[in-house]
Amino acid sequence: MKRKLISLILSAVMAVSLVGCGGAGDDGTTAGTSTDTPTKSESDNVDTPASAPSDDAQSLTVWCWDSFNVDAMKKAGEIYTADHPDVTINVQETVSSDIQTLIQTYAMSGELNALPDIFLMDDQVFAKYLQNYPDVFADITDSGIPFQDFAESKVANSVKDGKNYGVPYDSNTVIACYRTDYLEQAGYSIEDLTDITWDEFIVIGEDVLAKTGMPMLTNVQGEPDLLNMILQSAGISVFDENGGISLVDNEGLKEAMRVYLKLIDTKILQEQTDWSGYQGSINNGTVVGTINGSWICATIMTTDQTQQEGNWAVTNMPKLNDYAGATNYSAQGGSTWAVSSTCDNFDLAMDFFKTTWAGSTAFYDSILKDLGAIATYLPAAGSDAYNEPSAFFGGEAIYSKIVSYGNEIPKINKGIYWKEEKEALGTALTNIVNSVPDLDNVTDEDLDNVIAEAQATVQFNIGQ
Amino acid sequence: MKSNGKRNTGLTINQKQGLTGWFFLLPAALLIFAMNFYPMLQALVLSFKTGIGNNQVWGGLDNYARLLQDKVFHTAIINNFFYLLIQVPVMLVVAIILATLLNKKDLKCKGLFRTMIFLPCCTALVSYSIIFKTLFAYDGYVNTVLTNMGLISERINWLGQVSTAKVIIIIALIWRWTGYNMVFYLAGLQNIDESLYEAARIDGAGPVKAFFKITVPLLRPTILLTTIMSINGTLQLFDESVNLTNGGPANSTLTMSHYIYKASFEYNPQFGYAAAMSYVIFILVAILSFVQMKVGDKR
Repeated sequence: MKRKLISLILSAVMAVSLVGCGGAGDDGTTAGTSTDTPTKSESDNVDTPASAPSDDAQSLTVWCWDSFNVDAMKKAGEIYTADHPDVTINVQETVSSDIQTLIQTYAMSGELNALPDIFLMDDQVFAKYLQNYPDVFADITDSGIPFQDFAESKVANSVKDGKNYGVPYDSNTVIACYRTDYLEQAGYSIEDLTDITWDEFIVIGEDVLAKTGMPMLTNVQGEPDLLNMILQSAGISVFDENGGISLVDNEGLKEAMRVYLKLIDTKILQEQTDWSGYQGSINNGTVVGTINGSWICATIMTTDQTQQEGNWAVTNMPKLNDYAGATNYSAQGGSTWAVSSTCDNFDLAMDFFKTTWAGSTAFYDSILKDLGAIATYLPAAGSDAYNEPSAFFGGEAIYSKIVSYGNEIPKINKGIYWKEEKEALGTALTNIVNSVPDLDNVTDEDLDNVIAEAQATVQFNIGQ
Repeated sequence: MKSNGKRNTGLTINQKQGLTGWFFLLPAALLIFAMNFYPMLQALVLSFKTGIGNNQVWGGLDNYARLLQDKVFHTAIINNFFYLLIQVPVMLVVAIILATLLNKKDLKCKGLFRTMIFLPCCTALVSYSIIFKTLFAYDGYVNTVLTNMGLISERINWLGQVSTAKVIIIIALIWRWTGYNMVFYLAGLQNIDESLYEAARIDGAGPVKAFFKITVPLLRPTILLTTIMSINGTLQLFDESVNLTNGGPANSTLTMSHYIYKASFEYNPQFGYAAAMSYVIFILVAILSFVQMKVGDKR
């Protein structure tokens, strides 16, 4: 009898612990892929929207990554629920690559009801998901959202066949940020780095390196983001009009690559192992600056205020020497809000967007001031907050500067094979860096070989 | 059989007990079939289809033919075999030596040593990969120590150079799995009679000779087991490739499983192609294990 009792109790304990374990088991499994964002995530089960839309309890579920974006969306939620107390905006932090994997998995398995109402998606992959999984996205062309109030190049990222599928979010205008104290040490000011060419930049960079021991730029090794920025700044497309890959016989590409390789050769560009190494190099002050999308301001501003406040400045990036069509402006990254096709409260979502993201300059002011999130909503650029000087950046009104840059970005052909192209170019760069001893004198033949291989790889991936 | 006059139309006791056994096995067998074998069949069917995302059309052996031309896949296979041919022998040799050392009767703190060597196996794959990545970063611990000790004048970019990235993965794998294999060998060693070693000592054999002539041959089944498991594991390597090097500089540490993940979730999704690649891994593991069994198992 005693043995039966003990075994019964043990079985009950085991059953309870199994049930308890089942819910908490998700954390470790999805962390595997990229380390783009510094924050951890829990891509748990998503609440499915309320089955019957009732006026009493309406809610919207939102997926987005990074504490900055989460806070921005929460702020929008607060503004909206102040006027609509029966609505809840439920924001769930999910890493960008997880959002992509989840969207894809749900779309493939037909489980579209598990999608959130609203999700954030990287601009660079938006077209890919729009083309491959069109059932996921809701058409919001005729919802009354004023798309003309957003920067044209940003809206274009989420447009297919003339229909809109997304509300643009953060600005991807490229800026160059430098530590003015290091520059001063070497005898330069921020004006010396404004509206210059890469050749001039390299001369300055070598001087700064010699006098301060600091490299001018930093990036993540093996990732051709800087190369892609240089390409776009000169209007050089790696895709042709039909979205096919066009790397071979692309003279602009070779010139851009030579500039990039020279930066590595002269040690002006220091490559970090991964994203957290990249952020570390900025925050620890071991580099003079970086060139990236304006969203990098958020990272820069998280450093120790007392040490670096007032010692940063923003300007435009160097241009590709005398290449025809070269400019000092480019775009990198950025993201867009999308609404899923299974959103039960579609009208609510549209009203929410029209009131906050596509209608309230006060909202953009608050996220700018508190979070450093720069938007592409054009009416917001005229507000006071955008013209306020930033103490961190040496007392300059950087936000209006950045928004003004946004108008000058050259348009290039985009395609759905961005990820494949990025990896192929990254491989090409790494191969040259590892195989050619003298990066200053890379022959045309070396470049042609790696470019041909990159093109073959991407074409192989396209040819399905 | 019943011995009275009536014919026995029911089941024999043996048959009844057999049926009972089958009934107990049935739920688990059905689950395994539904969760394991049926998806494997579905994957096989998927590997015969081509197309992006949900647009799958029948393609026959197109995916397999495509594999023959995929340079990145060839690189991935070569990487896997590189790890296999270098890491597995080194790890198993170290494991067997450690097991022999830790099996000595009069060694103090045996339990402590065994635990310490086995502990790496208990770490999560993702965590240890990320920590190794941090250790070998450009301004990481290893570079700092080596520079301070004066062994290198300039920091080495361990994970950024094609030549050293593979080495880091091999070091990480050896660190993690040696203890695991050592435990298997320890268990196998318990079955070897001490008297054999005594006899060898009396005959004048040194420890090295005893090791090669007694330990290794008698551990043969265990060695076979660990080799097959290691080959299986190395061919399916994923976590280290993703978290330590992310495919490595220019795909130099990319493994087949990582490439499958990329083809499915990072590139424009080619699920049929990815399924074909998984079957290639399956066939490779099956062939290698078969060869192993033939060569190693004399039973």
